Amino acid sequence: MSQVQARFFTENKKYLIDDVPFSIPAASEVTDLSAVINKLLEAKNDGHKHVEFDFLVQGQFLRTSLASRMETENISTEDVVEIEYVEKFTAPQPEECIMHDDWISSVEADSEWILTGSYDKTARIWSMEGKAVMTVAGHTDVNLYNGLSSLLLSASLDQTIMLWEWNSERNKVKARHCCRGHAGSVDTVAVDPTRTKFCSGSWDKMLKIWSAVPTEEEDEIEEPNRPRKKQKTEQMGLTRTPLMTFSGHNEAVSSVLWMDAEELCSASWDHTIRLWDAETGGQKNAITGSKVFNCISYSPLCRRLASGTTDRHVRLWDPRSKDGSLVLLSLTSHNGWVTAVRWSPSHEHQLVSGSLDNVVKLWDTRSCKAPLYDLAAHEDKVMCVDWTENGLILSGGADNKLYTYRYSACVSDAGA
Amino acid sequence: SQTKKSLFSDPRSVWFISSPSCVMFLWHTVKWADSLLIFITFSVRSQDIRNTVGNIPMEWYKDYPHIGYDLEGKKIFKPIRNKDELDEFLDKMENPDYWRTVQDKMTGADIRLSDEQVDLVHRLQQGKFGDVNFNEYEPAIDFFSNEVMIHPVTNRPQDKRSFIPSLIEKEKVGKLVHAIKMGWIKPHRPKETTPQYYDLWAKEDPNSILGRHKMHIPAPKMKLPGHEESYNPPPEYLMSEEERLAWEQQDPEYRKLSFLPQKFACLRAVPAYSRFIHERFERCLDLYLCPRQRKMRVNVNPEDLIPKLPKPKDLQPFPTTQSLVYRGHSSLVRSISISPSGQWLVSGSDDCTVRFWEVSTARCLKTVEVGGAVKGVAWNPNPSICLVAVSYDDTVVLLNPGLGDRLVCTATDQLISSYEEPEEVKDQPVQWAVAEGEGHEQGHRLILKHPKAVRQVTWHGKGDYLACVMPDNGNSLQVVIHQVSKRRTQNPFRKNKGLVQCVSFHPIRPYFFVATQRYVRVYNLIKQELTKKLMANCKWISSMAIHPGGDNVICGSYDCRLAWFDLDLSTKPYKVLRHHKKALRSVAYHRHYPLFASGSDDGNVIVCHGMVYNDLLQNPLIVPVKVLKGHTITHDLGVLDVTFHPTQPWVFSSGADGTVCLFT
Repeated sequence: MSQVQARFFTENKKYLIDDVPFSIPAASEVTDLSAVINKLLEAKNDGHKHVEFDFLVQGQFLRTSLASRMETENISTEDVVEIEYVEKFTAPQPEECIMHDDWISSVEADSEWILTGSYDKTARIWSMEGKAVMTVAGHTDVNLYNGLSSLLLSASLDQTIMLWEWNSERNKVKARHCCRGHAGSVDTVAVDPTRTKFCSGSWDKMLKIWSAVPTEEEDEIEEPNRPRKKQKTEQMGLTRTPLMTFSGHNEAVSSVLWMDAEELCSASWDHTIRLWDAETGGQKNAITGSKVFNCISYSPLCRRLASGTTDRHVRLWDPRSKDGSLVLLSLTSHNGWVTAVRWSPSHEHQLVSGSLDNVVKLWDTRSCKAPLYDLAAHEDKVMCVDWTENGLILSGGADNKLYTYRYSACVSDAGA
Repeated sequence: SQTKKSLFSDPRSVWFISSPSCVMFLWHTVKWADSLLIFITFSVRSQDIRNTVGNIPMEWYKDYPHIGYDLEGKKIFKPIRNKDELDEFLDKMENPDYWRTVQDKMTGADIRLSDEQVDLVHRLQQGKFGDVNFNEYEPAIDFFSNEVMIHPVTNRPQDKRSFIPSLIEKEKVGKLVHAIKMGWIKPHRPKETTPQYYDLWAKEDPNSILGRHKMHIPAPKMKLPGHEESYNPPPEYLMSEEERLAWEQQDPEYRKLSFLPQKFACLRAVPAYSRFIHERFERCLDLYLCPRQRKMRVNVNPEDLIPKLPKPKDLQPFPTTQSLVYRGHSSLVRSISISPSGQWLVSGSDDCTVRFWEVSTARCLKTVEVGGAVKGVAWNPNPSICLVAVSYDDTVVLLNPGLGDRLVCTATDQLISSYEEPEEVKDQPVQWAVAEGEGHEQGHRLILKHPKAVRQVTWHGKGDYLACVMPDNGNSLQVVIHQVSKRRTQNPFRKNKGLVQCVSFHPIRPYFFVATQRYVRVYNLIKQELTKKLMANCKWISSMAIHPGGDNVICGSYDCRLAWFDLDLSTKPYKVLRHHKKALRSVAYHRHYPLFASGSDDGNVIVCHGMVYNDLLQNPLIVPVKVLKGHTITHDLGVLDVTFHPTQPWVFSSGADGTVCLFT
């Protein structure tokens, strides 16, 4: 029992070692194995610096000793164990803490700017360094936002979505359109990949698709009270009406996203995730859960949906499967409702989730028992998370703070 | 008397007395009487006086000087009696025949009996025949015997009737034959020949006899003496000093040995047995207290006694964990209510504020100040109206929170402002006023001033009628029903029996539930009559909730009970649950899920599965599924109100600690 035959391999060319089986102690853990690999690498090339490795046995991270892992996985100790090793992910480093005046309801960032929506009825644009660049005020109620570089979208409890145009050089924001049509608070908006349309989901159980292209004329022409309307449009922008309305949910729509240019995915309080054809408006598939869905996220890299629900679990779903109620994986570590999930834009296995228990957790689907890291910076409910392409994790919550973390995912491992 | 007379007159007439059986007797009697008569006649004749009055009572001649008449028809005078007592005495002393002297009643004369007469009297006194010569033991001659003599006693020929059948018998036989023909008599009744006793042990189970034998319990046997009882036991049976001390300190009941083994050099040295009486007594006790009957102990598994209920795990979904806490109130939160869409929650507190919360985030969106500690809040259940009724002190305010659909909010405002005053104004117990100024800015729309403090407000399902409870020990005006669209107030009950605790509208039918301290009365609002009176079997009802189906009611009471009524079943509780440790403050049903919850002063919310079946024959299934803890007990008060989310299996509870909790 003391010794196990193991063969180590890696995708990373930098850390390649000879493909021979080694006899290693069965009781060895991650640090022991890491030391073994480092020894081998040192022996191979002189200029090697110590690197922490993580090990995967049958596609799952090794967290206990090798022996107990093999016992639970029913791997025979007679055979040669295939162990993959990857460079260990380092912990995300906190970078900025941006104070707001009120609860942060949503956050989105690209490589340059951070856009946040807040309960003080404003949306704000921040630079990466945490400087307030712009405050967009116009809603009469709580805000959600979605940005498309120079065009910004903000949705609100006042049942409208505003389309703003932001000139970053002159730092000016102009309301271009006010999208009216929902009969409940608008809880979510999503811009399609072609950036010509966007979709909104509301408490009134409807999904609506709107044009995202700013135009000069008003869509809706209401003759009788036109003069008054015109006056209003000076501040509020031109009124816009939806292109298409999807009805089918029995409860409020909590989250919506585009899978690709033709397919929409929405999550609702009626315990379902529905896939829609954006062209025809028909429902393609439905995934039934057992709890209210708070948020969903889709990763084109692994083609999985991640959902946050009003229980403690982050669940992964396969949107293509026809018997759509099968949970692929449950990630359980939170103690409260999962209010936000976001897949890593660059890594197929990683996602981040925020919960009412004040903790943001970074997950790797290869280690489903425990998260990779807990980011416990918030002092109150986490309400939104985001993850940019350049490795920045953002989270905002009810403590009025927006935290950013720098996360250096191994470039070599990404896209593996 | 005639016979006697004739006897006297003619002794030979005896021959005409013709009864053969007594002829002999008469013969002798006549013989004797004859001799007597002859004798007496002789003695009377010597004096020659004969009285002719006959055999009459001689008292009839008492008052006359004479005593009768002689043969010639001359009076016989009574002899002169002048003898006094002294003469009588002297006569008795001197006359040697005094004892044989008798007075003749007929003549009054003294007669001296002769020796024969005296002898006759003596004989008669002794019961002997008067005639000395009569032999009463003469051999009898049997004339009428079974012996047929050649000369018959009588020579009469035989009657004709002895040769012909009897007519009487024929008549009797005819009657019997008729009765048999008519079936009145059964001639051949089968006689029951079987003996009329029964088998005492016929029905006895043969096993029971066996059982009786098995049941035999012999008297307990005495333990045979062992080595330790020996006068000279082996040394290992003797106790060491410590063992002896331990033995002495032990309770006599728990001692292994009831005596101390002792060693004697020889049998001679053994003293008298000191425990003899004690031991006999214990033996008697053993015999006397030994069980006479084997008790059949039924081995009941305690698990089997618990009613078979489904596992709570199978009754998902129900709230299990505390998810959100709505913090902001600074005093106890008396009442909560949720909007029909389930997006907003309103809570009324003793800090004189009403707060509106977003359910999904616990964000307080709005705080409205009112002029007193809020006792009750109720969100209008009609989704096309956005109104919240808030009661504080003696006022009920209808608030428009301005949350939810903008169009609905403006429509509600328009509805209220479009009210037109009716032409004739009725005198109402409640004053309606429209809020203006700052109150209107805050959302106040209508203000209803009641005569008394309002404890509870509740809406009808359609959202037009609003019932208010003003508990009061006085009988009148405890419940009023307002119609908001017409701004009219009704006092439905001229008289209320008892202190009204809470009221509720039936969700479907026009019924109205009024809970007083001990009873829940169900009124039909259309017929305006009492339909049912539910007896809660508890001391003081605190709260009540109606099942959305309308046929079941739960009542919470201050004596820790929750009573479930099935209105179709009985007016008594179908089930009483005593899960809470302290007084219940609030109960609630879920609108869709088969759940109900109760909040109590012990700070717990207990969620129960309460399935009501469409099948009328199946009784509701009640399973307690979860105890939810989340509130800290403040001033001995825990949970004050519970309410369910309209669409999700979530329960809200408000507590005395100033928080509202959401359990999911």
